[in-house]
Amino acid sequence: MNPFNYNGGVCVAMKGKNCVAIASDHRLGAGRLTVSTDFPKVFEMGPALFIGLPGLTTDSLTVVNKLKFRVNLYELRENRKIRPHTFKAMVESMLYERRFGPYYVASVIAGLDPETDEPFVTAMDVLGAGEVNEPFAVAGTAEESLLGLCEALWEPDLAPEDLFETLSQVILNAVDFDCLGGAGATIHVIEKDKVTTRTIKTRMD
Amino acid sequence: MFMSRSEYDRGINTYSPEGRLFQVEYAIEAIKLGSTAIGIQTKEGCVLAVEKRITSPLLEASSIEKIWKVDEHIGCAVSGLIADARTLVDKARVEALSHWFNYNERMSVESVAQAVSNLAIGYGTTLSRPFGVAMLFAGIDHRKPQLWHMDPSGTFIQFDAKAIGSGSEGAQQSLQEVYNKDLTMQEALKHATTILKQVMEEKINSVNIEIATVTPDRMYHLYTPAEVEEVLKTIT
Amino acid sequence: MGDFSPYDDNGGTVAAIAGQDYVLIACDSRLSTGSTILSRFTPKIYPLSKMTVFACSGFHADVLTLIKNLEVRMKLFIHEHGEEMSTKAVMALMLPTLYGRRFFPFYVRPIVAGLDRDGKGLVASYDPVGTPEFFDYVIQGSGENLVHPFLHNQIGAKRTLSDVPVQAPPGLTLDKAVKLLKDAFLAAAERDVYTGDTVTLVAMTAKGTETMEYQLRRD
Repeated sequence: MNPFNYNGGVCVAMKGKNCVAIASDHRLGAGRLTVSTDFPKVFEMGPALFIGLPGLTTDSLTVVNKLKFRVNLYELRENRKIRPHTFKAMVESMLYERRFGPYYVASVIAGLDPETDEPFVTAMDVLGAGEVNEPFAVAGTAEESLLGLCEALWEPDLAPEDLFETLSQVILNAVDFDCLGGAGATIHVIEKDKVTTRTIKTRMD
Repeated sequence: MFMSRSEYDRGINTYSPEGRLFQVEYAIEAIKLGSTAIGIQTKEGCVLAVEKRITSPLLEASSIEKIWKVDEHIGCAVSGLIADARTLVDKARVEALSHWFNYNERMSVESVAQAVSNLAIGYGTTLSRPFGVAMLFAGIDHRKPQLWHMDPSGTFIQFDAKAIGSGSEGAQQSLQEVYNKDLTMQEALKHATTILKQVMEEKINSVNIEIATVTPDRMYHLYTPAEVEEVLKTIT
Repeated sequence: MGDFSPYDDNGGTVAAIAGQDYVLIACDSRLSTGSTILSRFTPKIYPLSKMTVFACSGFHADVLTLIKNLEVRMKLFIHEHGEEMSTKAVMALMLPTLYGRRFFPFYVRPIVAGLDRDGKGLVASYDPVGTPEFFDYVIQGSGENLVHPFLHNQIGAKRTLSDVPVQAPPGLTLDKAVKLLKDAFLAAAERDVYTGDTVTLVAMTAKGTETMEYQLRRD
């Protein structure tokens, strides 16, 4: 079985005006069996920095621990908060280290620059290849649906509330057509000095 | 030379010098020996009524069939050679079902008549002689209730009311007298049975006639002897 | 010759919305094979009658053959039955037509769209062997996965597999539907390399048919 389709799940992030948002669904599966409906795939890496890791869950959890370790070490050595750009490079190199035996995870990163408050989103494949100049980033079992929805619904300079609404619609409608994702969703809206985390209901089938 | 009828009435594909096809004409004549069948089309639906000749008291009347269901929305009454009629009705049924299969809609009465006609004019190639039957197709398609008549030549024509068989001349005359466009189904039933009664040699009863109607609510319905009895009560 | 395959995928996206008193059908005009663009202007919508249109993505040679077969059936029907084939009858005819090639199928994703005799919008879509689906909207082809959830979200209808055609809610006017499908194709062209160049929209109401054309990305 394809390791990307074993546990299932999606992540999506979007830029707004002076804010970013990142969301994941809640399903954890084992093939067609649903094991948990309370399993968000977005992890906090700092006050205004989040990473979503859909893919093979065992690898996601390993990767998130290793990343947290590296972020802590970085911040102690440098005595400053890590920038999203730097964090992206860190994830990139860490994933590429496993060039011939990769972690089966895709990554979606969302954050605000600690100095400039510039919004940042990116998505990467298993080996750390990503794109930084896009206003949204998607990954997971409903990748195409997410991308089409983002393309159709996203507009520039969304305020935090509008960004939340847009991202909610994107993830909700994408997982409705994905039998490996869904079972609710968590959305973090990241603003300067504030992160608003909300859960939304989706179809449970 | 070759002027007498007998020179030309053998080959079914041979015209006489006057341009006639005698075998087809004979087949049409053969219908006039058949039992009488009447069809009436009204705005509300169609009525078919036929006479059954019970030639022996030992004969099981219900085994003589002269009205058949073609599809939910079409019935067919015949006069002439019943064995031939069965072949043609089978064709009508297959065509109606094929249309349903392909288009998921009811085949029009005219198209059924057309399809049967295509078979009927196939004599000479696959058939040895013209079919010896005339048929009345009564039904409702998406247009409206309608009645079509087909003779052994394969010609099919729409009628308001039509009689075929031995009593057809008298019956047709009577139909012309009573018919109008606003007939109700009850009136049409009454007229059909009354006229049938007039042209039948036997005394009419619920065993020696068959009645069928096609209406929007009941579609094709062949009357039970009890229902025929009810109809007959209205005409005596 | 040894590795010859009788099939190709020429990409492209087709979509349709069945309204209460209209039907709207759309397609892009790109024809491609692999990473080569064969044509920038080959719209995938084909009129069958005054009431019915056909749209199809997939293998173009199969699409052309299928449409030819259908055109023959349309004309024969008029001769045999004295009237045009109704939209519902065309929808029914697709099943035996496609299923007749069950073991060497046409590689096509067809949509039949049109008006019924009362002017109501009808849409049906099929898989290559003829399985019919009747929904108020449909999208098929290479941009399908990208845009399907978007249409679902915007039309907001509850899609359940039904045996009979259904219509989009009355609130979705023809003007809104045009805007919606236009946006859908812009989104698809943005991310799907097999969709692009132009989008053709055909709006059909009891009053008649109107065709619209808009530019899409050409890269």
